[in-house]
Amino acid sequence: MYEHIFIQERQAYDAIVVGSGITGGWAAKELTEQGLKVLLLERGRHVEHGRDYTGEHKAPWELPFRGRGDRRLYEAEYDVQRRCYAFGEATRHFFVNDRENPYEHDPDKPFSWIRGYHLGGRSLMWGRQCYRWSDLDFEANLREGIAVDWPIRYADLEPWYDYVERFAGISGQPEGLPHLPDGPFLPPMMMNCAEQHLKAGIERAFPERKMTIGRVAVLTVPHNGRAACHYCGPCERGCTPGAYFSSLSATLPAARATGNLTIRPHSVVHSVIYDEEKGRASGVRVVDYETKEMHEFYARIIFLCASTLGTTQILLNSTSSRFPNGLGNDSGELGHNLMDHHFVVGATATIPGFEDRYYFGNRPNGIYIPRFRNLGDRATRHRDFLRGYGYQGGASRAGWNRGMAMRGFGADFKHRLREPGPWTMWLGGWGETLPRHDNYVELDPEQTDAWGIPLLKVHCTWGENELAMRKDMAEQAAEMLEAAGCTNVQPFDAYTEGGLGAEPGLCIHEMGTARMGRDPKTSVLNAYNQVHAVPNVFVTDGACMTSSACQNPSLTYMALTARAAHHAVEEMKRGNL
Amino acid sequence: MNRREAIKRVGLLFGGVLYAPAVAGLLSGCRTGGEAAFTPRTLTPEQNELVVHLTEMIIPETDTPGAKAARVNEFVDLILTDWAPAEDRDRFLAGLADVEARSQAAYQVAFLEATPEQQVALLTQLEDEALAAPPSPDGQPFFLMLKQLTLLGYYTSEIGATQELQWLAAPGRYDGCAPLEEVGRTWA
Ligand SMILES: Cc1cc2nc3c(=O)[nH]c(=O)nc-3n(C[C@H](O)[C@H](O)[C@H](O)COP(=O)(O)OP(=O)(O)OC[C@H]3O[C@@H](n4cnc5c(N)ncnc54)[C@H](O)[C@@H]3O)c2cc1C
Ligand code: SF4
Repeated sequence: MYEHIFIQERQAYDAIVVGSGITGGWAAKELTEQGLKVLLLERGRHVEHGRDYTGEHKAPWELPFRGRGDRRLYEAEYDVQRRCYAFGEATRHFFVNDRENPYEHDPDKPFSWIRGYHLGGRSLMWGRQCYRWSDLDFEANLREGIAVDWPIRYADLEPWYDYVERFAGISGQPEGLPHLPDGPFLPPMMMNCAEQHLKAGIERAFPERKMTIGRVAVLTVPHNGRAACHYCGPCERGCTPGAYFSSLSATLPAARATGNLTIRPHSVVHSVIYDEEKGRASGVRVVDYETKEMHEFYARIIFLCASTLGTTQILLNSTSSRFPNGLGNDSGELGHNLMDHHFVVGATATIPGFEDRYYFGNRPNGIYIPRFRNLGDRATRHRDFLRGYGYQGGASRAGWNRGMAMRGFGADFKHRLREPGPWTMWLGGWGETLPRHDNYVELDPEQTDAWGIPLLKVHCTWGENELAMRKDMAEQAAEMLEAAGCTNVQPFDAYTEGGLGAEPGLCIHEMGTARMGRDPKTSVLNAYNQVHAVPNVFVTDGACMTSSACQNPSLTYMALTARAAHHAVEEMKRGNL
Repeated sequence: MNRREAIKRVGLLFGGVLYAPAVAGLLSGCRTGGEAAFTPRTLTPEQNELVVHLTEMIIPETDTPGAKAARVNEFVDLILTDWAPAEDRDRFLAGLADVEARSQAAYQVAFLEATPEQQVALLTQLEDEALAAPPSPDGQPFFLMLKQLTLLGYYTSEIGATQELQWLAAPGRYDGCAPLEEVGRTWA
């Protein structure tokens, strides 16, 4: 397939970063700021901050299908991506075309792989929720004898959480919870009246539970040269003022400012080149997205930040006589222990009262109820499952949409919809999943994509622990809403075995396929995200995760990336890399 | 602003030179003048007229314009042509024919010629039947389709979103507990 292979000048770069999403942006920033010449390879197109946010601030009447989307096109070309809540008429250009980017899964075990292949990756569409982990999470595997132990603890990551939060700007409310550590937060966003009322009700009925405003990578005040949020709402369309954290608003501009960054879009990384003599990686092979020609690029260190499954695909495809089953795969764990969070389970309800109150502005954030199960003491222990979950949610007043279910038509009917409807609340759980060896990805031995890369085959299901936890997630949501005086409380759970709605992948927190660990025999990466047997290759995206906790993971990926990048530069200075 | 005026104004703005993209924007942005012709792609002219009337009955002109001014019929035609599965489109068109048939049977005149009271009675009957019908695998009854398309088409139109309700591209601040009186109407 590849007729020409273009060999680039050796050692033109100190470092190669693969992928420009949340983790690639951080790797590029940290490495360039420390003086390294960095080549950033991105498989997708260039996206210009601002100019290419073509859906931003589009009014509903400017969308041809008024937000309903082009059904026929979506079915033909976006059959997976359209399952994501953020996919739509104003954001379609930030999601991959599923027909052009195929992958496989067992027919009865759906896995939704939600992706954005362009400069900035999913940092453009992400939900921006940011929660730290604690030792409750880092010690869980060891304590329970599950999978392998994390090679790091909270103390290792704490300064890096501080570091990335200070730069990114996270707004939130300090709560002093040991298992959900506070950070240097920007001022919190406001809870609306109904949420304030609910918070008081829940905390009265369950003194050990807390409801707090979401911690979110959205600026509530100007920060590091970026403007504060103007509360337009649908951030996934892009934000020209740069009020939410993305690679394009924050890390890549910083990296560019050093003069050390070269970005090469349309560069599909095929594999890592392994130098058998040196026992190190020497560079990467790249298939040009448009011409399909193969190029080789060389550098002293390589950061793989192509997203959990993207990176795993590259590693599995990097075979050599030393690594016949994928680069660094001495343990046989590469591709295994795939996790996500399980969600779309909880309850909705009506909050009586507050009819004379409404909100002004669209807050791009909700509320959070931190984990309250299995915190390590007897009182919070649950008999039916390990680990725990947190809730996200929010209260809003019903809009014109409720008219669809209201009897009547005509002038009175129209007039009634002019005023907002009752306050309604939804609470949805985000649950931890356990790392299981039999949840894994592999390469299809026969089929390749348009760039000659073997298709990824995903095998993933929820296990007993997740399903038992879901029951509690729905029950507790309903109980809290009842206790806080809500009416019309309706538990929900979108999971069905083999069905769509709450299938693995949909939470877009896929992680774990090249886990960190203490022992090269049972893990792929060491405590600094280096491939055990190839220490100049770093994997700092979600592939590195040893367990999943229940917090949204990207903040932890950021902290791990920054920490690994600093370690890499120190090791280079010491002459070890 | 009609088409010719729009072009003239752009001509003035750009010193007599027509600036093509701006003209295209202006023309598509000012079609409410009523002059720009609309040719339905799925509906016949008669069906289109009936849809204009039915949608206006659901969301009539009051102190703000209604479905007709918001051109909800054009949205309905778009959905029937480019969006709806064939079964839904056919059920919708059969529903229009049924409205005519019922009007002939009950009042011996075409629906558009029936009295306003007769029209309201017929539509009320359709809604009652639709709400009483058990959920069917064949999809929604005609009346519910019509009503949903009307609400969607109206409240997401510029008229519906900005004159009947309110919409702001960039509110500038967030207040989660503002008096409804001060905020005004439902957010679109
Ligand atoms: C709608 C939505 C909501 C979300 N909400 C949250 C949230 O609230 N909180 C949270 O923590 N997380 C959230 N996430 C998840 C979050 O976006 C991801 O965890 C995060 O973006 C992962 O960062 P990454 O750098 O690993 O991957 P990405 O951001 O996906 O970036 C990977 C990049 O690598 C590129 N790439 C892939 N393969 C190759 C290759 N072979 N060669 C070259 N380049 C390649 C891609 O094009 C892409 O640009 C959300 C995601 C979505 C889509
Ligand atoms: S809500 Fe705020 S952060 Fe989100 S796009 Fe609008 S201005 Fe930007």
